[in-house]
Amino acid sequence: MSRILRRCAWAVAMTAQSSIVLAGGHVFDSGFEDHVEGPWSDAQSARFLTQATFGPDLAEISRVRRMGYNAWVTEQLALPASLHRPYLDAQAAAGLDVYQNSRQEAWWLRAITAPDQLRQRVAFALSELFVVSDRNGTIENEPIAMAAYYDVLVNGAFGSYRTLLENVTLNPVMGHYLSMFKNQKPEGNIRPDENYAREIMQLFSVGLVRLASDGSVMLTGGQPIPTYNQDTIRGFAHVFTGWNWHACPVPQGGQPWEWEYCPSGTNGWVLPMEAWESYHASAGSKQLLAYTGAVGANTGVLPGGGTAVGDLHAALDNIFNHPNVPPFVARHLIKRLVTGNPSAAYVGRVAAIFVNNGSGVRGDLGATVRAVLMDSEARTLPTLASNAGKLREPLLRQSQVWRAFHARADDGRYREWNPEGYLAQASLRSPTVFNFFLPDYRPPGELSTLNLDAAEFQITTDTSIASVANGLGSKVFYAWRGFAFQEPEDVVVDLEPELAFATDAARLVDRYDLLFMNRTMSNFMYQTLVAYVQSMPAGSTQQRRQRVQDAVWLIQSSPEYAIER
Amino acid sequence: MKRRDFIQRALCATASSALFSQFAGKMSIAHAAATAEPRLLGEDYRALVCVYLYGGNDAFNMIVPTSTTEYAQYQAARGALALPSAELLPLTPSVAPTGGGSYGLHASMPLLRGLFNRIATPSPLAIAANVGPLVYPITKSEYQAGSVPVPAQLFSHSDQSVVWQRPAADAITRRGWGGRLADLFHASNTNQQLSMNISIDGENVFQAGDDVVPYFVGENGAQGVANVHPEYDVARRAAFIALRDAAQGNALQRQYATVMRRSMNNEVMITGALAGGGNLTTAFPDTGLGRELRMVARLIKVRATLQMKRQIFFVGLGGFDTHDNQLDDQATQLAQLDGALSAFYAATVEMGVANSVTTFTASEFGRSTSVNGDGTDHGWGGHHLILGGAVNGRRIYGRMPSLVVGGADDAGYGQIIPTASVDQYAATIARWYGVAPADMATVFPNIGRFATPDLGFMSAS
Repeated sequence: MSRILRRCAWAVAMTAQSSIVLAGGHVFDSGFEDHVEGPWSDAQSARFLTQATFGPDLAEISRVRRMGYNAWVTEQLALPASLHRPYLDAQAAAGLDVYQNSRQEAWWLRAITAPDQLRQRVAFALSELFVVSDRNGTIENEPIAMAAYYDVLVNGAFGSYRTLLENVTLNPVMGHYLSMFKNQKPEGNIRPDENYAREIMQLFSVGLVRLASDGSVMLTGGQPIPTYNQDTIRGFAHVFTGWNWHACPVPQGGQPWEWEYCPSGTNGWVLPMEAWESYHASAGSKQLLAYTGAVGANTGVLPGGGTAVGDLHAALDNIFNHPNVPPFVARHLIKRLVTGNPSAAYVGRVAAIFVNNGSGVRGDLGATVRAVLMDSEARTLPTLASNAGKLREPLLRQSQVWRAFHARADDGRYREWNPEGYLAQASLRSPTVFNFFLPDYRPPGELSTLNLDAAEFQITTDTSIASVANGLGSKVFYAWRGFAFQEPEDVVVDLEPELAFATDAARLVDRYDLLFMNRTMSNFMYQTLVAYVQSMPAGSTQQRRQRVQDAVWLIQSSPEYAIER
Repeated sequence: MKRRDFIQRALCATASSALFSQFAGKMSIAHAAATAEPRLLGEDYRALVCVYLYGGNDAFNMIVPTSTTEYAQYQAARGALALPSAELLPLTPSVAPTGGGSYGLHASMPLLRGLFNRIATPSPLAIAANVGPLVYPITKSEYQAGSVPVPAQLFSHSDQSVVWQRPAADAITRRGWGGRLADLFHASNTNQQLSMNISIDGENVFQAGDDVVPYFVGENGAQGVANVHPEYDVARRAAFIALRDAAQGNALQRQYATVMRRSMNNEVMITGALAGGGNLTTAFPDTGLGRELRMVARLIKVRATLQMKRQIFFVGLGGFDTHDNQLDDQATQLAQLDGALSAFYAATVEMGVANSVTTFTASEFGRSTSVNGDGTDHGWGGHHLILGGAVNGRRIYGRMPSLVVGGADDAGYGQIIPTASVDQYAATIARWYGVAPADMATVFPNIGRFATPDLGFMSAS
């Protein structure tokens, strides 16, 4: 029934040479009463879950319809965090060698199976904001520490942004990645390291230019207004001095060799860094961010004489209260979860919740995430012509099919150690601190002409577009339970439940239109797939499975699927 | 501009891939002829290779003073990071550098030192001194007074890497000067399907033009799409192509389809050409940069099959952001650069195209001469290398800066003010590549602000 309606909608739209709106409307296709606030269709439910999880499956699509969006979010916010480090600790305890491979296993395990999907999805989005990468030689050797860093994001996903900022800042993995670790006060021609000072502002919090409360760039004389200058960077660089391993096992005698050779100790890598006052640049005032309400009567000048801890708290407060932070964080979360080119109004509404969660609290990430997902711009399927949506990140394309078909290895492990080899992405493995892509990247051509941000296209090269399609294909064609050449450690999808639908091509394609595209498939695509699947024999189990595999892969490699709307 | 918009829309609306590429080629030529005069050169071949050093190479520890006074100044600035003078590989330029002094190369770069000092045959390696992004020439006092504009967001990786690759430091576009050259010259190529600009290191600003979109290959060649074999997967391929080439209502979908189509069409062409191209005798080091430059060499070798006369390549090497552990880390990176660049030059000699291929380095900034313990912070100017048979080698071009702490070239904190602009560096290369003097200001709009558009390191033609 809905299929027929859609065809009509398509025909009308084609005639009018305009966009089409699919889904929506009260289509009671699951045979029960929907929650009053929606979703009102399986398609809406699937679309919501695509934004809020690592991919919908049919059971969860039904559950969200029964619960309603808000109750589902409330449930997710309350679920205990599924942490990553315990998985590595367990492997170590079992006598296994623990490398970054183990961390990737933990990431996939949580992405595919953890009940706290929203938390995991937001943690992944945060890992693309507070970037560290195991392509850095020092932290590459510390997989457990990196898993613990990821857990800082998992634990902090719904907490206070201010707390998270401090936990990230004092984490020794970040300390090594952006060289705040053992950063010391000026001495001779030695200057405090500016690396963390620069990136915490540029990438984690305020960005380079002043933003209005809705994220639009403020101009003066037609030019953007820089958020800070080199003096500010030097001020923060001085603040971020004097931090070494937690509870250094040698005495802090203030001797250079004690500072330099303080060993990490047993747990140094997983505990917050600790201050050595004798190496902190206490003397001298420090230029922090200047804005109305900033320290030093709005000048942002922090007086000298502070302690390492005191200066750090003052500096993080100074960042946290800058007016850029709410739209900056809102825009990041919207872009990672919902759409690449949100309206200023949407950014502004989410930023307002960041400013005040309703109880007068600033920086409540749980409330901010709810605002991202519950906004009308997120919950309304955009028209094609609006160009809303985003290219699905390759990791999310893989996680989606694995969740849809309940993929696992015989022993439950996910030995997907180097997804970057075909997906151009892996958890905490970006080439630089600038993540896998810049948020405002635009490829030359039509998208630039239309001023559309398309971050994910930065890793969509002529090479990777093929390797992603091939990688996804190999997981469907050659990694299914029962495959003759299956090894026990292969992660395999379960296609058995799919075979029952394979004899009816239309039903099969409709099923995957829901699971993979929340019923946004165009009539042309639908007809093309049905005709092709229909042309394939379906007499044997093998033939029916082939129908399933072909339908799935042709969807996964298509332009319509690649863009999530 | 309206006309271009129309063409772009028309192209996007064109579904058939064969028709698409034909149409694209013709329209681009027509467009270029209407506004920017395509430069159809002769039958010769010419290629540029940009070697991008990600993170900001510490050029002041790559090329180091060896003369007593200058070394003492360097040592005072660099402290524990100062390289011992005995370890430096002395350079013997044919003409003393402006400002005097003598210089040595980092100990990890013996092969490039050999090329620089070569006398038996003309040296193919030159050094451009202290190049960096400038909006106008600027002195220290002007910088401190803020009386002369400087590039926005100096010392920031993401911004300065864009600024370095653009044709002007105050442009607001994400188009690069390599892209602009390609817009001007791509009509020279008989082959209008394959982009004139090929990257072996992924997306970059340098190669992006208004008309020309770079093509990306991997270090082992082009990647084909599996499961759609023209003989064995006929029906599936037909379905795949139908979905790929369907009219799309959303611009992001169109972009995805465009890249997929381009990827598949070019893969067939590139893989076929490389298969028929034989192999290179020159051995390349098995490093990331070595493999990338080997692919560039192989693509140049099959240039006739690919029907390319003008090409611009992009390769990259990361790991230069040496805030920590600089002495060890930079030595490793420079050794990789030394091995890969010298092998690539040898390959161009082997292929008989040494005089037609010019390789040059780029990096978002040099590093501060002041240190932060065991590393350095983001700087501004830095030295660069230009390599090829058409390079007037064994010379240091431009003015070597003073490394005196707080001296005339020190913007503060050891961030050295460039003594030559990226515009001049790029224009010198572009002039050799074929940009006519009359077109220079079109390509590099700020070039007239600087003393000379030509730093002199390229031969006359």
